[in-house]
Amino acid sequence: MKAKFLIALAFELTLRAQGLVPRPAPEFRIVEASGRTTFLSSYRGRVILLAFISTQCSHCQKASVVFQELAREFSGQLQVAEIAFDEGADTAAFEKRFGLTFPVGASSSDAAHSFLGIAAGTRLGTPQVVAIDRAGIIRAQSERLGTPMFQTPEYLRGLLKALLRKDPAR
Amino acid sequence: MIDHSLVISPLGAILFHLKQGFWLYAWPMMIGFVTILGYQALARIVAMGTAKWPAVFALASVVSMVSLFGWVTMVRGIGMIPLYGCGVGLASAMMSRVYAVTLALHPWLKMRVIRVIWRGDAAGISELKQALQARAAEGLETARAKV
Repeated sequence: MKAKFLIALAFELTLRAQGLVPRPAPEFRIVEASGRTTFLSSYRGRVILLAFISTQCSHCQKASVVFQELAREFSGQLQVAEIAFDEGADTAAFEKRFGLTFPVGASSSDAAHSFLGIAAGTRLGTPQVVAIDRAGIIRAQSERLGTPMFQTPEYLRGLLKALLRKDPAR
Repeated sequence: MIDHSLVISPLGAILFHLKQGFWLYAWPMMIGFVTILGYQALARIVAMGTAKWPAVFALASVVSMVSLFGWVTMVRGIGMIPLYGCGVGLASAMMSRVYAVTLALHPWLKMRVIRVIWRGDAAGISELKQALQARAAEGLETARAKV
């Protein structure tokens, strides 16, 4: 009985676990609808706001508009990118519908989970927002079931300013 | 999750929590309060029997639209239930102190406005009773004349 409980607890904790911050951002390949491929490491030197989204999710749609606004506001210092990991995501239509000028790629759900440090197949709340500093270190990441505060322009503005103030050497 | 070595202005977080608090707690409470207030006032106006049917129709439409609008915009979750209940309770408690709601003719505006007669307002209650008795007598005389 006790052993069964411990196994169940261990299993539950494994499912709940997610990558801690700060940690170095793993490499990630962003494949856009046009076929253009960019590696996340190529944005090194800029603050990166990366969001894992589902194109059908209304929160992701609203957040994308916020990210676009921030991309304009912090132009030259900030790189925004989105990765859609829902099956059959039409990223080109998504970009067009919301007037997004930053790269929107598509990936498998497993790749998204792996980047976020979450066990494959675990349910995720979208959007999963990740803020990476100029040295390529993940400094902020949504909780597994989503962090609504990371979708608001007021909070993100403060977070980005703090990341831009941070010395990239540290 | 956030790296705590980052020095972030608290303004964004405060704004977020204020907005969230309003929509999750204050808004359901307001909706509960306004819904009960509206329906109770409407029921009392209708019970008085003095209001014309177009006024009753318009009031009923407005009250139902306001409450439905509130329910549609309400964040539905476990967290909103206690304060929605508080709003309903507060409005019910307040309306239990109301003797009557009438559509009285305003002396300056020359139009009917909502008038609340509280249970403690002895003069208002007596005035209302007299008006109702006079109307009942008038109705009785009209009925007799017709016979």
